[in-house]
Amino acid sequence: MKIDVDHIAKLSKLSFSGEEKLKMERELSSIIEMVEKLPETNVNLNEADASNIMDLREDIVCPSMPRDELLKNAPEVKAGCIVVPKTVEQ
Amino acid sequence: MEYDIVIGLEIHAELSTETKIYCSCQNVFGKEVNTKCCPICAGMPGTLPTLNKKVVEYAVKMGKALNCSINRLSKQDRKNYYYPDLPKGYQISQFDIPLCENGYVLVPMPDGVRKIGVTRIHIEEDAGKLVHNDAFVGSLVDMNRCGVPLIEIVSEPDMRSSAEAKAYLETIKQILSSLGISDCKMEEGSIRCDINVSVKPKGEEKFGTRCEMKNVNSFLGAVHAIDYEAARQIKILSEGGVITQETRRWDDHKGESFLLRSKEDAQDYRYFPEPDLRTIEVTDDLINKVEREAKELPNIRLIRYLEKEGLPFDDASLISENEGKSAFFDACLKIKPTHAKVISNWILSDISKRINETGKDISEIGVTPEFLIDLIERVEKKEISVTAGKEVLLAHFETGKSAGEIIAEKGLSQISNEDELLKIAKEVLDNNLKLIDDYKNGKTNLLGFFVGQCMKASKGKGNPSMLSGILAKLISENY
Amino acid sequence: MELYNKSASELSKMLRAKEVSAVEIADSVYKRIENVDDKVGAYLETNYEKAIKMAKKADEMIAEGKGTVMTGIPVAVKDNICVKGYKATCASKMLENFEPPYNAFVTENLIKAGAVITGKVNMDEFAMGSSTENSALKRTANPHDLSRVPGGSSGGSAAAVAAREAIVSLGSDTGGSIRQPASFCGVVGLKPTYSSVSRYGLVAFASSLDQIGPIGKTVADTAALYSVIAGKDSMDSTSLEANFNLSLASGGSLSGVKIGIPKQYFGDGVSAKVKELVMNAAKTLESAGATLVNVDLPGTDYALSAYYIISCAEASSNLSRYDGVKYGYRAENPKSLEELFVRSRSEGFGDEVKRRIMLGTFVLSSGYYDAYYKKAKLFQQKLKEEFKTAFRSCDMLLTPTSPDVAFRIGEIEDPLKMYASDICTVTVNLAGLPAVSVPVEGTKDNMPVGMQFIGKPFADAEILRVAGIYEDLIGGFKTQVKF
Repeated sequence: MKIDVDHIAKLSKLSFSGEEKLKMERELSSIIEMVEKLPETNVNLNEADASNIMDLREDIVCPSMPRDELLKNAPEVKAGCIVVPKTVEQ
Repeated sequence: MEYDIVIGLEIHAELSTETKIYCSCQNVFGKEVNTKCCPICAGMPGTLPTLNKKVVEYAVKMGKALNCSINRLSKQDRKNYYYPDLPKGYQISQFDIPLCENGYVLVPMPDGVRKIGVTRIHIEEDAGKLVHNDAFVGSLVDMNRCGVPLIEIVSEPDMRSSAEAKAYLETIKQILSSLGISDCKMEEGSIRCDINVSVKPKGEEKFGTRCEMKNVNSFLGAVHAIDYEAARQIKILSEGGVITQETRRWDDHKGESFLLRSKEDAQDYRYFPEPDLRTIEVTDDLINKVEREAKELPNIRLIRYLEKEGLPFDDASLISENEGKSAFFDACLKIKPTHAKVISNWILSDISKRINETGKDISEIGVTPEFLIDLIERVEKKEISVTAGKEVLLAHFETGKSAGEIIAEKGLSQISNEDELLKIAKEVLDNNLKLIDDYKNGKTNLLGFFVGQCMKASKGKGNPSMLSGILAKLISENY
Repeated sequence: MELYNKSASELSKMLRAKEVSAVEIADSVYKRIENVDDKVGAYLETNYEKAIKMAKKADEMIAEGKGTVMTGIPVAVKDNICVKGYKATCASKMLENFEPPYNAFVTENLIKAGAVITGKVNMDEFAMGSSTENSALKRTANPHDLSRVPGGSSGGSAAAVAAREAIVSLGSDTGGSIRQPASFCGVVGLKPTYSSVSRYGLVAFASSLDQIGPIGKTVADTAALYSVIAGKDSMDSTSLEANFNLSLASGGSLSGVKIGIPKQYFGDGVSAKVKELVMNAAKTLESAGATLVNVDLPGTDYALSAYYIISCAEASSNLSRYDGVKYGYRAENPKSLEELFVRSRSEGFGDEVKRRIMLGTFVLSSGYYDAYYKKAKLFQQKLKEEFKTAFRSCDMLLTPTSPDVAFRIGEIEDPLKMYASDICTVTVNLAGLPAVSVPVEGTKDNMPVGMQFIGKPFADAEILRVAGIYEDLIGGFKTQVKF
């Protein structure tokens, strides 16, 4: 099966040089070939399963993290915010 | 050719819970940037979400209010996309099993009630904010809003005009507000909507191609955006063009929408079940609690005022949208069921004026339904005039004294004694002999002037309708 | 015998008897690290001062009579588990300088138990790999043969214990990442029942499969460490109460224990010598009272496919957060937002990580979701049912941990061949079951061979108990390294 590496790379926010792209295409194709052998199964998959119910959190406030600590790993900070290149509306 | 406009709305409303949807940070607007955040808000490696119980409760409340069926078991999904205000690179939302679905809402309008279908209501997290500063080339990320709980209310494409869409939006806002689950502060962005618009030749059953408009954050903006978009599409069609499916961004300042992306560039969100969370159960206890706490919603109340009480639309609408006024109105009606319009008049005039002047709630300005009904009855029995009634109410606000006391103190009781009134009338007419001639020559509206003069002479106590009769009779018989 | 050579159980006894202090133990382990880690390359970060501080605290706890099984015991922690004050690099250029401002649930538990964290150990980048060769930061060797890989992705965790550079360690297992390196390095590794150990503070690879687990020289050590980290955590919505009882994880007999041998795990892909050694071990258990039964798990043959679809799908989403914005690697001078994202990710991630992100993105992308992701989830469901059926006729399963012994560094280049080395382990993660890998008696090419006991959900104590009986039956694991 042929994979549109450019499209998937775009979705993944990754870029590949010409050679890398060919290699990725080759490797992905062989992996896809392997996973395609997966047989059809006729079981029921209940994605909201009654046997798998979670506890919900009580609505009680806990202190937030001091800003300096929160942002200590940020690559660039200005005026208490993380800096990114200028954004255009999405 | 004439066209039908078809409108569907997706409303995002921020919920007014104490904490965020997936962590225990405070859910609060307008704080110093990045101070209401924790590693979970910032999407740090290794952090995990825990769902706030209140968010489920609030969504179920809204679902019940909009007549939805509640999915007793539901799940959450990841919506994957990249943007600097989305720290995890995905938004936790609900895809194929929302908490609530298949509902409707009755939207009263001056020319009748509309029933608008509600496709679904689901819960999700809000993104952060990007701060732009002209003095600076980049953008700044503030994560305080990351994880603020949202419900998304998706309507069916059931609206046919911008006025209907606006009425729907207002109804939804009133319901959110009445349930106490959202602050509904448009200026803080706590309600935002995306609008889907398509047009089709009048009578045609098949819907046209729709365009989605994002970034609409005021009701007036919604009206303008819909009108703009419908006109744009109609122009294209009437010039023989074809509508292409696209996403547009509404610019409220410019009053125009701009192409954001066409269908070919449609984003592939790669939804899949959120593996960090298990099944959400809406328990019997929760359903019972919501049902127990349910009260009459503002739209239902409006319909009652219109249909049962016969109030004019504007009266009904102004009272029903305010919880306090509605409660007061209903309490008055209970005592005097036949006087809806008179009660409404008092509430919307002198009482509302007092509320506005004091900035207080109706329950705090010192007037009770019993007092108002007493006042109305005194006016009705012609014990006092309407003008005097207003004075009594005002004095009551100030002193809290009973109507009887005030009337006695101020000597406001109406003169209904015919001899006394005759005396006043004669005096007024004698002083206006020239005007009587004008009256006789056809200027009959002068009668009102004479009544006014009599009222003045009686210090407002004369019975105006009796005076009117007496004056007319006197003129024709004695002058 | 040097202190670093001893087991946690022995050291714990000595500590309680005041024959040794936690500081002396930490010191001994640190000397060992200094002496051998140049060769082994297990550690990414060590901090002697911090370790000694923790050891002092442990000594205080013991003095106050508040010691537990792990008090004063040196533990190495895989570098995808957050420990405040240490980086959590995940062996990636992307997180090379990332220092988490919070502790993982398991870290908090280690601190409370008075354990001594020796440092952070190497792994395959973001836990993706089976040899630790995918570490972007360091090469780790197998202590039994320095030309061979230690296995992966918890290669550093297994190598550190095997080389006696830690008494026990924590790893994480998404498709075999604790058990396979444990087997390659001749140590014991437990992949606990899914949800029994909180994942809070474990940097996610595939959330529905990831599980933190212990590695030790002995079954008892492994069980002791597990007893400290298991338990429900309100910060992890998927976590459940494990109800693990350490006293049930040892002792008793094998009588009445039915051990299932699934033929699919002894197929052509598995080395003949490995099969032979594992079957010998099975016979040892049989002669000690266990009953061997043949079971059928036909789904095993397709498990790798389902595993790679599900794990990569989740990984593609979990790793979206590394975008150069908030933390981690940021490309220099990006001209636009798009460039910031694409270049930071392309420069920050290694090849295997990119490959899996691409595969995961593909299987979730529009038009392919049903054909791949959904199908894999359905298959996973079927596989769970197969295990359930198998467990009607036996109490646990016994299989090889890996098709072969540790391969040579650089030997496997084809990603598919590398993936195939997970064939015996991925089913356990897909089914959420507990499994423990222990060394078998005998070696192949002088290298350790491992076998795994797979248990019913939450039967972690029972498989540890049987594994411990096997350890006793063969007179202890003889897997001492040569240096």
